[in-house]
Amino acid sequence: MARLLSLRRRRSALPYLLLAPGLLWLGVFYLVPALNQVYVSLQDGTLEQGYLFDWNWSSYGDALADYREQFGRSIGYAATATAIAFVISFPLAYFIAFKAGRLKSLMLFLIILPFFTSYLVRTIAWQTILADDSTVVGAAKTLGLLDGDGRLLATRTAVIAGITYNFLPFMALPLYVSLEKIDRRLIEAATDLYASRGVAFRRVTLPLALPGIFAGSLLTFIPAVGDFINAQLLGSSRQYMIGNVIQSRFLVVQDYPVAAALSFLLMAALLVAVLLYARALGARNLTESAV
Amino acid sequence: MPDRSLDQMIDRLLEEERFSRRGFVRRTGAAALATSSVGTLLAACGGVEGTKTTTGGVAKAVTGNHPKVAIDELNFSNWPLYVEKQVLKTFDKRFGAKTRYTEEINDNEEFFAKVREALRRGRDVKRDIVVLTDFMAARWIRLGYAEPLDKRNIPNVSNLVENLASPVYDRERSYSLPWQSGMTLIGYNPKKTGRKLTSVNDFFDPKFKGRVSFFSEWRDAAGLVAVGQGVKTADATKDDVLKAIEKLDEENRKGQIRRFTGNDYTTDLAKGNLWVAMAYSGDLIQLQADNPDLEYVIPEEGAMLWTDNMMIPKGAAHPYAAETMMNYVYDPVIAAKIAAYVNYVSPVEGAREELLKTDPEVAENELIFPPEEVRARLHPHPTFDDADERELSEAFQKVIGA
Repeated sequence: MARLLSLRRRRSALPYLLLAPGLLWLGVFYLVPALNQVYVSLQDGTLEQGYLFDWNWSSYGDALADYREQFGRSIGYAATATAIAFVISFPLAYFIAFKAGRLKSLMLFLIILPFFTSYLVRTIAWQTILADDSTVVGAAKTLGLLDGDGRLLATRTAVIAGITYNFLPFMALPLYVSLEKIDRRLIEAATDLYASRGVAFRRVTLPLALPGIFAGSLLTFIPAVGDFINAQLLGSSRQYMIGNVIQSRFLVVQDYPVAAALSFLLMAALLVAVLLYARALGARNLTESAV
Repeated sequence: MPDRSLDQMIDRLLEEERFSRRGFVRRTGAAALATSSVGTLLAACGGVEGTKTTTGGVAKAVTGNHPKVAIDELNFSNWPLYVEKQVLKTFDKRFGAKTRYTEEINDNEEFFAKVREALRRGRDVKRDIVVLTDFMAARWIRLGYAEPLDKRNIPNVSNLVENLASPVYDRERSYSLPWQSGMTLIGYNPKKTGRKLTSVNDFFDPKFKGRVSFFSEWRDAAGLVAVGQGVKTADATKDDVLKAIEKLDEENRKGQIRRFTGNDYTTDLAKGNLWVAMAYSGDLIQLQADNPDLEYVIPEEGAMLWTDNMMIPKGAAHPYAAETMMNYVYDPVIAAKIAAYVNYVSPVEGAREELLKTDPEVAENELIFPPEEVRARLHPHPTFDDADERELSEAFQKVIGA
């Protein structure tokens, strides 16, 4: 009897044991830092005299009032980059999943290939590609895309292009996975039932690819909003995003409360955005395969 | 050497292979910077709390008392590419020391964040000499984080150049001794600008729109602009500096200013992305060696002169060894070696005479040994009390979008 009970108890403990490493990870690397951010954000004081916990909510107001522009810019840039990445990635993923045949693995490898170089180095390579005296800028001027003393580096175009480039694989790979999983017979069935190819795409392929679209856009959008490398290296102060502000608040100005408040606000805003997005796309369809 | 930021680390990672000290130190410096940033982040996360009781006081004439002991260990923290390593080896040999020289200071504020908590709690920060730019040196003295020097151990202090002998934050040099000074001036590419530059206000020539850079450090950027507006920064008022910051804001909004940079302006200037850059004198000598097209100008209104200062952190374990090192680098022969290597302005009287014998080209370089008529045009960073500095820093951060 006792043995049976302990066995049952062990069984019921098993799921939690299996979850433990994940929960521990989440606790140590997410929850603790997040709570610490909240704690720091409520401190008050000055750099020289130190910061003390004081239920000082004003950091949040200051952060929002002073950096509304950078918040808006981050969301705008990230959304634009996500949209462009989607437009580029979808045909690409579609081609790899349905048409690439033997080249499939090679093409997937090529998408991942840039990750073999550091993120920073790739972005700095773009500084050279987009430099004022570069062939790209020269060609753009010849084609009339840029005016005579126009430039790309240190402009919005360069920053958005950099973000798109750097996060493209995060869009392409989930799209590929969900397209690849589609049972071809469903599309055949649709055409058998007199759906045109366009209708079959719209009514069958696209809905079945939704989990990939969802995962891909989140994986692109979320890191892109917090990114500061692209704005720093390819932009100027007129393109700074919220990540740049947080970085300089923490490391240069050492205004920890406002920096922490900004981080927390960014996190909260993203959480809300993701929830709304999931709801709009119909979360139930997505949970089985998303991410 | 104010402000070495992320840009610079990246700059270093990417810098093409060059067989100069600069190329070498850049790449090695990147690793140091990466670790130092992590350290700062940790400091930022862990050591945020503080007391509100610390009060600043004006430094009085004081002296340390560090009796002669056997020299063994010495921990020396400095900026990257800021010493000739042979000089340290000779020191070790001559005094039987084991100097641990760490190139860990990439940014005054970052370094301060790293050690502040230990200093505040009165703990040994495991460093015997640190090198800090004027404003940060002033802050350490004010907060009581600097150990007074025992000048009896530094007889060579008599070689200190006169114009650096009595800064406002340390009238008697009781706590600090200059390591090197440097100028913040204009570096430019005459092939691009099509003319010689003479004035600070050339930064604002509409023909150079989008090809101009300033430092992301207000003391340099707003300081030099204020000089261009005819202000003597030694006795600048807060309004003078605010006016300069406004000017920068206006020009930035117009798109005149391409970027606010750390040391990464060097790459952009060399590549031709920048035509006119706010620059450090020591960098320019290297840049010119790599690209003879580049020129510099010490503007007719003047340039900024800043100093990085050696200090002993409060509670350091080896003050006598630290003072012995200070005395050693104030020997003109040694100072000459350092100056020839780092290309910044030496604070040691007699270093130039030594170099005239060994390396006259360095001795004649006005960026390394500015002659009297140039010195007359060099202005210190503007200094204010804590509250005003914070206000100015805030105003400037707004302009540069951070």
